[in-house]
Amino acid sequence: MHGPIPAAAGIGLRAVHHQALIAERPPVGWIEAHTENYFHEGGSAVRALERARADYPLSLHGVGLGLGSADGVDREHLLRVRRAISRFEPALVSEHACWGQADGEFFNDLLPLPYTDEAVELLARQVGEAQDALGTRLLIENVSAYVAFEHSHLHEWDFLTAVAELSGCGLLLDVNNVFVSSRNLGLDAHRFIEGLPAERVGEIHLAGHSRNGNVLIDDHGSAVCEEVWQLYRHAIARLGAVPTLIEWDTNIPALSTLWAEAQRADHLLGELRGLAA
Amino acid sequence: MASLRELQASFAAALRDDSAACAVSPRQNLSIYRNNSAINFRTALGLCFPVLRRRVGDDYFRQLAMKYRERNPSRSGDLHWVGRGFAPFLVEHLQGGDYTWLADLARLEWSREEAAVAVAHAAVGAEVLSHFTPEQLEDLRFSLQPSLRLHASDFPVFTIWAANQVDNAPPVDQSLPGECGMVRARTDGVEVRRLKPEVFSYLSALSAGAPLGEAVSVAGLDQPALVQALGFVFQEALVCAVAA
Repeated sequence: MHGPIPAAAGIGLRAVHHQALIAERPPVGWIEAHTENYFHEGGSAVRALERARADYPLSLHGVGLGLGSADGVDREHLLRVRRAISRFEPALVSEHACWGQADGEFFNDLLPLPYTDEAVELLARQVGEAQDALGTRLLIENVSAYVAFEHSHLHEWDFLTAVAELSGCGLLLDVNNVFVSSRNLGLDAHRFIEGLPAERVGEIHLAGHSRNGNVLIDDHGSAVCEEVWQLYRHAIARLGAVPTLIEWDTNIPALSTLWAEAQRADHLLGELRGLAA
Repeated sequence: MASLRELQASFAAALRDDSAACAVSPRQNLSIYRNNSAINFRTALGLCFPVLRRRVGDDYFRQLAMKYRERNPSRSGDLHWVGRGFAPFLVEHLQGGDYTWLADLARLEWSREEAAVAVAHAAVGAEVLSHFTPEQLEDLRFSLQPSLRLHASDFPVFTIWAANQVDNAPPVDQSLPGECGMVRARTDGVEVRRLKPEVFSYLSALSAGAPLGEAVSVAGLDQPALVQALGFVFQEALVCAVAA
Protein backbone atom coordinates (compact mmCIF):
# COMPACT_ATOMS: atom_id res chain seq x y z
CA MET A 1 0.00 0.00 0.00
CA HIS A 2 1.21 3.47 -0.85
CA GLY A 3 1.05 6.82 0.87
CA PRO A 4 -0.07 10.23 -0.35
CA ILE A 5 -0.44 11.22 -3.97
CA PRO A 6 2.85 12.87 -5.01
CA ALA A 7 3.00 16.23 -6.79
CA ALA A 8 3.71 14.37 -10.01
CA ALA A 9 1.80 13.11 -13.02
CA GLY A 10 -0.50 10.12 -12.80
CA ILE A 11 -2.75 8.30 -15.24
CA GLY A 12 -6.41 7.37 -15.19
CA LEU A 13 -6.66 3.58 -14.91
CA ARG A 14 -9.12 2.03 -17.34
CA ALA A 15 -10.08 -1.64 -17.65
CA VAL A 16 -8.29 -2.08 -20.99
CA HIS A 17 -5.01 -1.22 -19.26
CA HIS A 18 -5.38 -3.38 -16.15
CA GLN A 19 -3.14 -6.18 -17.38
CA ALA A 20 -0.62 -3.89 -19.08
CA LEU A 21 -0.22 -1.77 -15.95
CA ILE A 22 0.39 -4.80 -13.78
CA ALA A 23 2.77 -6.38 -16.30
CA GLU A 24 4.69 -3.29 -17.43
CA ARG A 25 4.58 -1.22 -14.23
CA PRO A 26 5.35 2.08 -15.96
CA PRO A 27 6.96 4.58 -13.57
CA VAL A 28 3.98 6.91 -13.32
CA GLY A 29 3.59 8.75 -10.06
CA TRP A 30 0.13 7.50 -9.20
CA ILE A 31 -3.12 6.16 -10.64
CA GLU A 32 -6.72 7.26 -10.48
CA ALA A 33 -9.70 4.95 -10.92
CA HIS A 34 -13.37 5.71 -11.40
CA THR A 35 -14.94 4.70 -8.10
CA GLU A 36 -18.09 3.26 -9.67
CA ASN A 37 -16.06 0.74 -11.69
CA TYR A 38 -14.93 -0.91 -8.47
CA PHE A 39 -18.18 -1.24 -6.55
CA HIS A 40 -18.45 -4.98 -7.07
CA GLU A 41 -17.52 -7.54 -4.46
CA GLY A 42 -15.62 -9.75 -6.87
CA GLY A 43 -14.42 -9.94 -10.45
CA SER A 44 -11.33 -9.16 -12.46
CA ALA A 45 -11.59 -5.36 -12.17
CA VAL A 46 -11.43 -5.27 -8.38
CA ARG A 47 -8.67 -7.88 -8.36
CA ALA A 48 -6.68 -5.78 -10.84
CA LEU A 49 -7.11 -2.62 -8.76
CA GLU A 50 -6.08 -4.45 -5.61
CA ARG A 51 -2.87 -5.50 -7.38
CA ALA A 52 -2.25 -2.11 -8.99
CA ARG A 53 -2.71 -0.22 -5.76
CA ALA A 54 0.11 -2.25 -4.22
CA ASP A 55 2.44 -0.59 -6.75
CA TYR A 56 0.98 2.90 -7.02
CA PRO A 57 -0.62 5.56 -4.82
CA LEU A 58 -4.33 5.57 -5.65
CA SER A 59 -6.97 8.22 -6.09
CA LEU A 60 -10.66 7.31 -6.42
CA HIS A 61 -12.67 9.60 -8.66
CA GLY A 62 -16.45 9.36 -8.55
CA VAL A 63 -18.76 10.24 -11.41
CA GLY A 64 -22.14 9.23 -10.07
CA LEU A 65 -22.99 10.92 -6.77
CA GLY A 66 -24.49 14.06 -8.32
CA LEU A 67 -23.73 16.02 -5.16
CA GLY A 68 -25.55 19.09 -6.44
CA SER A 69 -28.88 17.33 -7.03
CA ALA A 70 -31.70 19.23 -5.34
CA ASP A 71 -33.45 15.89 -4.80
CA GLY A 72 -30.58 14.80 -2.57
CA VAL A 73 -27.83 12.22 -2.74
CA ASP A 74 -28.46 8.51 -3.21
CA ARG A 75 -27.55 7.03 0.19
CA GLU A 76 -26.96 3.57 -1.28
CA HIS A 77 -24.49 4.99 -3.78
CA LEU A 78 -22.72 6.85 -1.00
CA LEU A 79 -22.50 3.61 0.97
CA ARG A 80 -20.89 1.88 -2.00
CA VAL A 81 -18.33 4.68 -2.28
CA ARG A 82 -17.63 4.22 1.40
CA ARG A 83 -17.09 0.48 0.91
CA ALA A 84 -14.72 1.18 -2.00
CA ILE A 85 -12.75 3.63 0.16
CA SER A 86 -12.57 1.10 2.92
CA ARG A 87 -11.39 -1.63 0.55
CA PHE A 88 -8.87 0.28 -1.57
CA GLU A 89 -7.75 2.94 0.92
CA PRO A 90 -7.21 5.71 -1.62
CA ALA A 91 -5.02 8.69 -0.79
CA LEU A 92 -7.47 11.04 -2.52
CA VAL A 93 -11.20 10.89 -3.18
CA SER A 94 -12.90 13.24 -5.60
CA GLU A 95 -16.25 14.00 -7.19
CA HIS A 96 -17.83 16.71 -9.35
CA ALA A 97 -19.60 20.02 -8.88
CA CYS A 98 -22.68 18.86 -10.74
CA TRP A 99 -26.08 17.29 -10.39
CA GLY A 100 -27.40 14.11 -11.94
CA GLN A 101 -30.95 13.21 -10.97
CA ALA A 102 -34.44 14.65 -10.81
CA ASP A 103 -37.76 13.01 -9.96
CA GLY A 104 -36.07 9.65 -9.48
CA GLU A 105 -34.46 9.56 -12.92
CA PHE A 106 -30.68 9.56 -13.17
CA PHE A 107 -29.17 11.08 -16.30
CA ASN A 108 -25.69 9.57 -15.81
CA ASP A 109 -23.99 12.70 -17.00
CA LEU A 110 -22.25 15.58 -15.24
CA LEU A 111 -25.01 18.20 -15.47
CA PRO A 112 -24.16 21.86 -14.85
CA LEU A 113 -25.41 23.79 -11.85
CA PRO A 114 -26.77 27.32 -11.84
CA TYR A 115 -24.19 29.46 -10.04
CA THR A 116 -26.48 30.88 -7.39
CA ASP A 117 -26.35 31.28 -3.62
CA GLU A 118 -28.93 28.53 -3.21
CA ALA A 119 -26.79 26.12 -5.26
CA VAL A 120 -23.69 27.06 -3.22
CA GLU A 121 -25.55 26.25 -0.01
CA LEU A 122 -26.99 22.98 -1.28
CA LEU A 123 -23.78 21.69 -2.84
CA ALA A 124 -21.72 22.71 0.19
CA ARG A 125 -24.20 21.00 2.53
CA GLN A 126 -24.28 17.79 0.50
CA VAL A 127 -20.50 17.76 0.03
CA GLY A 128 -20.17 18.19 3.80
CA GLU A 129 -22.61 15.35 4.46
CA ALA A 130 -20.77 13.14 1.99
CA GLN A 131 -17.43 13.92 3.65
CA ASP A 132 -18.93 12.97 7.01
CA ALA A 133 -20.36 9.74 5.62
CA LEU A 134 -17.13 8.82 3.84
CA GLY A 135 -14.81 9.88 6.62
CA THR A 136 -12.58 11.78 4.23
CA ARG A 137 -12.14 15.16 2.64
CA LEU A 138 -13.32 15.37 -0.95
CA LEU A 139 -11.86 17.24 -3.88
CA ILE A 140 -14.62 18.73 -6.02
CA GLU A 141 -14.03 19.13 -9.75
CA ASN A 142 -15.29 21.82 -12.11
CA VAL A 143 -17.22 20.25 -15.02
CA SER A 144 -17.24 21.07 -18.71
CA ALA A 145 -20.31 23.07 -19.66
CA TYR A 146 -22.23 23.44 -22.89
CA VAL A 147 -24.94 25.71 -21.50
CA ALA A 148 -25.21 28.26 -18.71
CA PHE A 149 -28.29 28.88 -16.56
CA GLU A 150 -29.72 32.33 -17.07
CA HIS A 151 -30.21 32.46 -13.28
CA SER A 152 -26.47 32.23 -12.57
CA HIS A 153 -25.17 35.38 -10.90
CA LEU A 154 -21.81 34.11 -9.61
CA HIS A 155 -18.66 33.37 -11.54
CA GLU A 156 -17.97 29.64 -11.56
CA TRP A 157 -14.66 30.15 -9.72
CA ASP A 158 -16.39 32.18 -7.00
CA PHE A 159 -19.06 29.48 -6.78
CA LEU A 160 -16.43 26.74 -6.32
CA THR A 161 -14.50 28.84 -3.81
CA ALA A 162 -17.63 29.43 -1.74
CA VAL A 163 -18.51 25.71 -1.78
CA ALA A 164 -14.98 24.84 -0.67
CA GLU A 165 -15.03 27.40 2.13
CA LEU A 166 -18.43 26.34 3.42
CA SER A 167 -17.87 22.58 3.22
CA GLY A 168 -14.13 22.40 3.88
CA CYS A 169 -13.60 20.40 0.70
CA GLY A 170 -10.64 20.79 -1.63
CA LEU A 171 -10.85 21.49 -5.35
CA LEU A 172 -9.87 19.45 -8.35
CA LEU A 173 -9.08 21.78 -11.23
CA ASP A 174 -9.80 20.21 -14.61
CA VAL A 175 -7.86 22.46 -16.96
CA ASN A 176 -9.43 20.91 -20.05
CA ASN A 177 -12.89 21.56 -18.61
CA VAL A 178 -11.97 25.18 -18.00
CA PHE A 179 -10.81 25.43 -21.60
CA VAL A 180 -13.92 23.70 -23.00
CA SER A 181 -16.33 25.80 -20.91
CA SER A 182 -14.47 29.00 -21.70
CA ARG A 183 -14.71 28.38 -25.43
CA ASN A 184 -18.33 27.21 -25.30
CA LEU A 185 -19.62 29.94 -23.01
CA GLY A 186 -17.19 32.80 -23.55
CA LEU A 187 -15.52 32.67 -20.13
CA ASP A 188 -12.03 33.93 -19.42
CA ALA A 189 -10.00 30.77 -18.73
CA HIS A 190 -7.10 32.60 -17.12
CA ARG A 191 -9.39 34.54 -14.85
CA PHE A 192 -11.05 31.25 -13.85
CA ILE A 193 -7.72 29.82 -12.72
CA GLU A 194 -6.65 33.04 -11.03
CA GLY A 195 -9.94 33.16 -9.17
CA LEU A 196 -9.48 29.81 -7.41
CA PRO A 197 -8.02 29.60 -3.90
CA ALA A 198 -4.59 28.04 -4.59
CA GLU A 199 -4.33 26.44 -1.17
CA ARG A 200 -7.47 24.37 -1.82
CA VAL A 201 -6.50 22.92 -5.21
CA GLY A 202 -5.31 19.40 -4.50
CA GLU A 203 -5.31 17.91 -7.99
CA ILE A 204 -5.36 18.86 -11.66
CA HIS A 205 -6.91 16.93 -14.54
CA LEU A 206 -5.77 17.09 -18.14
CA ALA A 207 -7.57 15.48 -21.07
CA GLY A 208 -8.41 15.86 -24.71
CA HIS A 209 -11.61 17.18 -26.26
CA SER A 210 -13.21 17.16 -29.68
CA ARG A 211 -15.02 19.76 -31.75
CA ASN A 212 -18.57 19.53 -33.04
CA GLY A 213 -19.16 22.62 -35.14
CA ASN A 214 -18.54 25.55 -32.83
CA VAL A 215 -18.89 23.50 -29.69
CA LEU A 216 -16.04 21.76 -27.88
CA ILE A 217 -17.00 18.38 -26.47
CA ASP A 218 -15.24 17.06 -23.39
CA ASP A 219 -14.90 13.48 -24.64
CA HIS A 220 -11.49 12.51 -23.18
CA GLY A 221 -10.79 10.84 -26.49
CA SER A 222 -7.54 12.39 -27.69
CA ALA A 223 -4.24 13.86 -26.58
CA VAL A 224 -4.18 17.06 -24.53
CA CYS A 225 -4.14 19.94 -27.03
CA GLU A 226 -1.43 22.60 -27.06
CA GLU A 227 -3.75 25.33 -25.79
CA VAL A 228 -4.65 23.22 -22.77
CA TRP A 229 -0.96 22.52 -22.12
CA GLN A 230 -0.38 26.29 -22.16
CA LEU A 231 -3.24 26.80 -19.76
CA TYR A 232 -1.81 24.05 -17.56
CA ARG A 233 1.54 25.90 -17.47
CA HIS A 234 -0.32 28.97 -16.33
CA ALA A 235 -2.21 26.93 -13.71
CA ILE A 236 0.84 25.35 -12.10
CA ALA A 237 2.72 28.65 -12.22
CA ARG A 238 -0.06 30.05 -10.04
CA LEU A 239 -1.01 27.00 -7.98
CA GLY A 240 2.38 25.34 -7.61
CA ALA A 241 3.25 21.71 -8.28
CA VAL A 242 -0.07 19.88 -7.93
CA PRO A 243 -0.68 16.15 -8.61
CA THR A 244 -1.72 16.05 -12.25
CA LEU A 245 -3.75 13.34 -13.95
CA ILE A 246 -3.93 12.38 -17.61
CA GLU A 247 -7.46 11.17 -18.38
CA TRP A 248 -8.39 9.23 -21.50
CA ASP A 249 -11.79 7.54 -21.63
CA THR A 250 -12.78 7.08 -25.28
CA ASN A 251 -10.65 5.88 -28.21
CA ILE A 252 -8.28 4.71 -25.49
CA PRO A 253 -4.73 4.29 -26.83
CA ALA A 254 -1.91 2.04 -25.61
CA LEU A 255 -0.77 2.57 -22.05
CA SER A 256 2.53 3.92 -23.40
CA THR A 257 0.68 6.87 -24.98
CA LEU A 258 -0.85 7.84 -21.65
CA TRP A 259 2.52 7.48 -20.05
CA ALA A 260 4.06 9.80 -22.67
CA GLU A 261 1.42 12.43 -21.84
CA ALA A 262 2.16 11.97 -18.15
CA GLN A 263 5.87 12.45 -18.83
CA ARG A 264 5.10 15.78 -20.49
CA ALA A 265 3.18 16.91 -17.40
CA ASP A 266 6.04 15.69 -15.22
CA HIS A 267 8.48 17.68 -17.35
CA LEU A 268 6.46 20.86 -16.81
CA LEU A 269 6.21 20.17 -13.08
CA GLY A 270 9.99 19.65 -13.07
CA GLU A 271 10.54 22.95 -14.87
CA LEU A 272 8.42 24.64 -12.24
CA ARG A 273 10.49 23.14 -9.44
CA GLY A 274 13.64 24.27 -11.26
CA LEU A 275 12.33 27.80 -11.36
CA ALA A 276 11.46 27.66 -7.69
CA ALA A 277 14.90 26.29 -6.67
CA MET B 1 -36.84 33.50 -8.97
CA ALA B 2 -37.05 29.77 -9.65
CA SER B 3 -35.66 27.47 -6.98
CA LEU B 4 -32.76 25.12 -7.65
CA ARG B 5 -35.20 22.22 -7.60
CA GLU B 6 -37.39 23.93 -10.21
CA LEU B 7 -34.37 24.75 -12.38
CA GLN B 8 -33.17 21.16 -12.30
CA ALA B 9 -36.69 19.85 -12.94
CA SER B 10 -36.99 22.10 -16.00
CA PHE B 11 -33.55 20.98 -17.22
CA ALA B 12 -34.58 17.34 -16.75
CA ALA B 13 -37.85 17.97 -18.60
CA ALA B 14 -35.92 19.53 -21.48
CA LEU B 15 -33.65 16.48 -21.62
CA ARG B 16 -36.74 14.32 -22.04
CA ASP B 17 -38.60 16.68 -24.35
CA ASP B 18 -36.86 19.16 -26.61
CA SER B 19 -39.86 21.52 -26.53
CA ALA B 20 -39.94 21.89 -22.71
CA ALA B 21 -39.01 25.30 -21.32
CA CYS B 22 -35.56 25.63 -19.77
CA ALA B 23 -33.76 28.86 -18.90
CA VAL B 24 -30.31 28.05 -20.28
CA SER B 25 -28.26 29.36 -23.15
CA PRO B 26 -27.33 28.47 -25.76
CA ARG B 27 -30.43 26.38 -25.67
CA GLN B 28 -29.54 24.23 -28.67
CA ASN B 29 -26.59 22.84 -26.69
CA LEU B 30 -29.03 21.01 -24.42
CA SER B 31 -28.98 18.36 -27.14
CA ILE B 32 -25.39 17.56 -26.12
CA TYR B 33 -26.55 16.57 -22.64
CA ARG B 34 -29.54 14.73 -24.12
CA ASN B 35 -27.25 12.76 -26.40
CA ASN B 36 -24.63 12.13 -23.70
CA SER B 37 -27.27 10.76 -21.39
CA ALA B 38 -28.73 8.46 -24.06
CA ILE B 39 -25.32 7.32 -25.28
CA ASN B 40 -24.05 6.61 -21.77
CA PHE B 41 -27.15 4.51 -21.09
CA ARG B 42 -26.94 2.67 -24.41
CA THR B 43 -23.20 2.06 -24.13
CA ALA B 44 -23.55 0.61 -20.64
CA LEU B 45 -26.41 -1.59 -21.85
CA GLY B 46 -24.42 -2.71 -24.88
CA LEU B 47 -21.49 -3.73 -22.69
CA CYS B 48 -23.83 -6.05 -20.79
CA PHE B 49 -25.27 -7.65 -23.93
CA PRO B 50 -22.46 -7.84 -26.50
CA VAL B 51 -23.70 -11.00 -28.21
CA LEU B 52 -27.27 -9.78 -28.48
CA ARG B 53 -26.05 -6.46 -29.88
CA ARG B 54 -23.88 -8.25 -32.41
CA ARG B 55 -26.76 -10.52 -33.40
CA VAL B 56 -29.34 -7.76 -33.95
CA GLY B 57 -26.93 -5.07 -35.24
CA ASP B 58 -26.22 -1.62 -33.84
CA ASP B 59 -29.24 0.11 -35.40
CA TYR B 60 -31.83 -2.24 -33.95
CA PHE B 61 -29.98 -2.40 -30.64
CA ARG B 62 -30.18 1.41 -30.48
CA GLN B 63 -33.96 1.21 -30.96
CA LEU B 64 -34.30 -1.47 -28.31
CA ALA B 65 -32.16 0.56 -25.89
CA MET B 66 -34.26 3.69 -26.48
CA LYS B 67 -37.54 1.86 -25.87
CA TYR B 68 -36.10 0.09 -22.85
CA ARG B 69 -34.90 3.41 -21.41
CA GLU B 70 -38.34 4.99 -21.90
CA ARG B 71 -39.84 2.21 -19.80
CA ASN B 72 -36.89 1.71 -17.44
CA PRO B 73 -35.00 4.97 -16.96
CA SER B 74 -31.78 4.81 -14.98
CA ARG B 75 -32.42 4.79 -11.23
CA SER B 76 -28.81 5.04 -10.16
CA GLY B 77 -25.65 7.04 -10.66
CA ASP B 78 -23.97 3.69 -11.29
CA LEU B 79 -24.84 2.35 -14.75
CA HIS B 80 -23.45 -1.12 -14.17
CA TRP B 81 -26.83 -2.54 -13.23
CA VAL B 82 -28.79 -0.79 -15.95
CA GLY B 83 -29.34 -4.06 -17.81
CA ARG B 84 -31.04 -5.83 -14.92
CA GLY B 85 -34.52 -5.44 -16.42
CA PHE B 86 -33.58 -5.86 -20.08
CA ALA B 87 -34.50 -9.54 -20.46
CA PRO B 88 -37.97 -9.09 -18.87
CA PHE B 89 -38.45 -6.02 -21.08
CA LEU B 90 -37.61 -8.08 -24.17
CA VAL B 91 -40.01 -10.83 -23.11
CA GLU B 92 -42.81 -8.29 -23.17
CA HIS B 93 -41.58 -6.28 -26.13
CA LEU B 94 -41.04 -9.27 -28.39
CA GLN B 95 -44.06 -11.23 -27.20
CA GLY B 96 -45.48 -13.52 -29.84
CA GLY B 97 -42.91 -12.61 -32.49
CA ASP B 98 -40.18 -14.60 -34.16
CA TYR B 99 -37.48 -13.15 -31.96
CA THR B 100 -38.58 -14.14 -28.49
CA TRP B 101 -35.34 -16.11 -28.23
CA LEU B 102 -33.55 -12.78 -27.89
CA ALA B 103 -35.01 -12.46 -24.39
CA ASP B 104 -33.42 -15.78 -23.42
CA LEU B 105 -30.13 -14.70 -24.93
CA ALA B 106 -30.36 -11.49 -22.86
CA ARG B 107 -31.07 -13.55 -19.75
CA LEU B 108 -27.97 -15.64 -20.40
CA GLU B 109 -25.82 -12.56 -20.97
CA TRP B 110 -27.14 -10.88 -17.85
CA SER B 111 -26.17 -13.97 -15.86
CA ARG B 112 -22.72 -13.58 -17.35
CA GLU B 113 -22.61 -10.00 -16.08
CA GLU B 114 -23.67 -11.07 -12.60
CA ALA B 115 -21.21 -13.95 -12.55
CA ALA B 116 -18.33 -11.72 -13.64
CA VAL B 117 -18.56 -9.57 -10.52
CA ALA B 118 -19.66 -12.17 -7.97
CA VAL B 119 -17.43 -12.86 -5.01
CA ALA B 120 -15.40 -16.09 -5.37
CA HIS B 121 -15.03 -18.45 -2.41
CA ALA B 122 -12.28 -21.03 -2.01
CA ALA B 123 -13.45 -24.37 -3.38
CA VAL B 124 -13.32 -27.59 -1.35
CA GLY B 125 -12.22 -30.88 -2.88
CA ALA B 126 -13.98 -34.25 -2.89
CA GLU B 127 -11.93 -35.30 0.14
CA VAL B 128 -14.36 -33.30 2.24
CA LEU B 129 -16.78 -36.20 1.79
CA SER B 130 -14.53 -38.36 3.96
CA HIS B 131 -15.70 -36.31 6.95
CA PHE B 132 -19.12 -37.87 6.65
CA THR B 133 -20.43 -41.39 7.12
CA PRO B 134 -21.95 -43.27 4.13
CA GLU B 135 -25.33 -42.97 5.85
CA GLN B 136 -25.04 -39.16 5.83
CA LEU B 137 -24.27 -38.87 2.11
CA GLU B 138 -27.80 -38.47 0.86
CA ASP B 139 -28.55 -35.74 3.40
CA LEU B 140 -25.52 -33.63 2.47
CA ARG B 141 -26.19 -30.08 1.33
CA PHE B 142 -23.72 -28.28 -0.90
CA SER B 143 -22.89 -24.57 -0.94
CA LEU B 144 -21.96 -23.74 -4.52
CA GLN B 145 -19.94 -20.81 -5.88
CA PRO B 146 -21.92 -17.55 -5.66
CA SER B 147 -21.20 -16.86 -9.33
CA LEU B 148 -23.01 -20.00 -10.52
CA ARG B 149 -26.08 -19.28 -12.64
CA LEU B 150 -28.19 -22.01 -14.25
CA HIS B 151 -30.22 -21.57 -17.40
CA ALA B 152 -32.82 -23.54 -19.27
CA SER B 153 -34.32 -22.25 -22.49
CA ASP B 154 -36.79 -23.46 -25.10
CA PHE B 155 -34.27 -22.20 -27.66
CA PRO B 156 -30.72 -23.27 -28.53
CA VAL B 157 -29.47 -20.26 -26.59
CA PHE B 158 -26.07 -21.68 -25.61
CA THR B 159 -25.36 -22.59 -29.24
CA ILE B 160 -26.44 -19.08 -30.32
CA TRP B 161 -24.21 -17.49 -27.69
CA ALA B 162 -21.20 -19.59 -28.70
CA ALA B 163 -21.75 -19.05 -32.43
CA ASN B 164 -21.91 -15.27 -32.07
CA GLN B 165 -18.57 -14.67 -30.45
CA VAL B 166 -17.46 -13.31 -33.82
CA ASP B 167 -19.02 -10.73 -36.12
CA ASN B 168 -21.18 -11.85 -39.04
CA ALA B 169 -21.72 -15.36 -37.70
CA PRO B 170 -24.28 -17.36 -39.71
CA PRO B 171 -27.70 -17.58 -38.01
CA VAL B 172 -28.39 -20.55 -35.80
CA ASP B 173 -31.45 -22.65 -36.67
CA GLN B 174 -34.05 -21.59 -34.09
CA SER B 175 -35.93 -24.84 -34.52
CA LEU B 176 -33.11 -26.74 -32.83
CA PRO B 177 -34.10 -28.18 -29.44
CA GLY B 178 -33.95 -26.06 -26.30
CA GLU B 179 -30.79 -26.10 -24.22
CA CYS B 180 -29.70 -25.81 -20.63
CA GLY B 181 -26.42 -25.02 -19.00
CA MET B 182 -24.46 -22.98 -16.52
CA VAL B 183 -22.60 -19.71 -16.25
CA ARG B 184 -19.85 -19.35 -13.69
CA ALA B 185 -16.82 -17.18 -12.99
CA ARG B 186 -13.32 -18.52 -13.27
CA THR B 187 -10.15 -16.63 -12.44
CA ASP B 188 -9.52 -16.02 -16.15
CA GLY B 189 -13.06 -15.02 -17.11
CA VAL B 190 -16.62 -16.26 -17.17
CA GLU B 191 -17.48 -19.69 -18.46
CA VAL B 192 -20.72 -20.29 -20.37
CA ARG B 193 -21.29 -24.02 -20.73
CA ARG B 194 -24.07 -26.20 -22.01
CA LEU B 195 -24.95 -29.12 -19.74
CA LYS B 196 -26.79 -32.41 -20.18
CA PRO B 197 -30.37 -32.06 -18.89
CA GLU B 198 -29.79 -34.50 -16.02
CA VAL B 199 -26.66 -32.68 -14.86
CA PHE B 200 -28.56 -29.40 -15.12
CA SER B 201 -31.42 -30.79 -12.99
CA TYR B 202 -29.01 -32.13 -10.42
CA LEU B 203 -27.08 -28.85 -10.21
CA SER B 204 -30.31 -26.85 -10.06
CA ALA B 205 -31.54 -28.93 -7.14
CA LEU B 206 -28.22 -28.65 -5.28
CA SER B 207 -28.12 -24.93 -5.99
CA ALA B 208 -31.64 -24.53 -4.58
CA GLY B 209 -30.43 -26.17 -1.35
CA ALA B 210 -31.82 -29.66 -1.84
CA PRO B 211 -29.91 -32.50 -0.14
CA LEU B 212 -27.79 -34.70 -2.37
CA GLY B 213 -30.23 -37.61 -2.28
CA GLU B 214 -33.09 -35.43 -3.48
CA ALA B 215 -30.95 -33.81 -6.18
CA VAL B 216 -29.98 -37.24 -7.48
CA SER B 217 -33.57 -38.40 -7.42
CA VAL B 218 -34.88 -35.27 -9.20
CA ALA B 219 -32.25 -35.68 -11.90
CA GLY B 220 -32.97 -39.41 -12.24
CA LEU B 221 -29.30 -40.31 -11.90
CA ASP B 222 -28.33 -43.96 -11.56
CA GLN B 223 -25.32 -45.05 -9.50
CA PRO B 224 -22.63 -44.56 -12.19
CA ALA B 225 -24.16 -41.23 -13.19
CA LEU B 226 -24.24 -40.15 -9.55
CA VAL B 227 -20.52 -40.82 -9.18
CA GLN B 228 -19.89 -38.79 -12.33
CA ALA B 229 -22.13 -35.96 -11.20
CA LEU B 230 -20.47 -35.80 -7.79
CA GLY B 231 -17.08 -35.79 -9.45
CA PHE B 232 -18.23 -33.01 -11.75
CA VAL B 233 -19.07 -30.46 -9.03
CA PHE B 234 -15.77 -31.04 -7.26
CA GLN B 235 -13.60 -31.16 -10.40
CA GLU B 236 -15.17 -27.91 -11.56
CA ALA B 237 -14.41 -26.31 -8.17
CA LEU B 238 -18.07 -25.43 -7.76
CA VAL B 239 -18.37 -26.58 -4.14
CA CYS B 240 -17.50 -24.08 -1.38
CA ALA B 241 -18.81 -26.08 1.58
CA VAL B 242 -20.62 -29.30 2.44
CA ALA B 243 -22.81 -29.79 5.49
CA ALA B 244 -24.80 -32.72 6.80
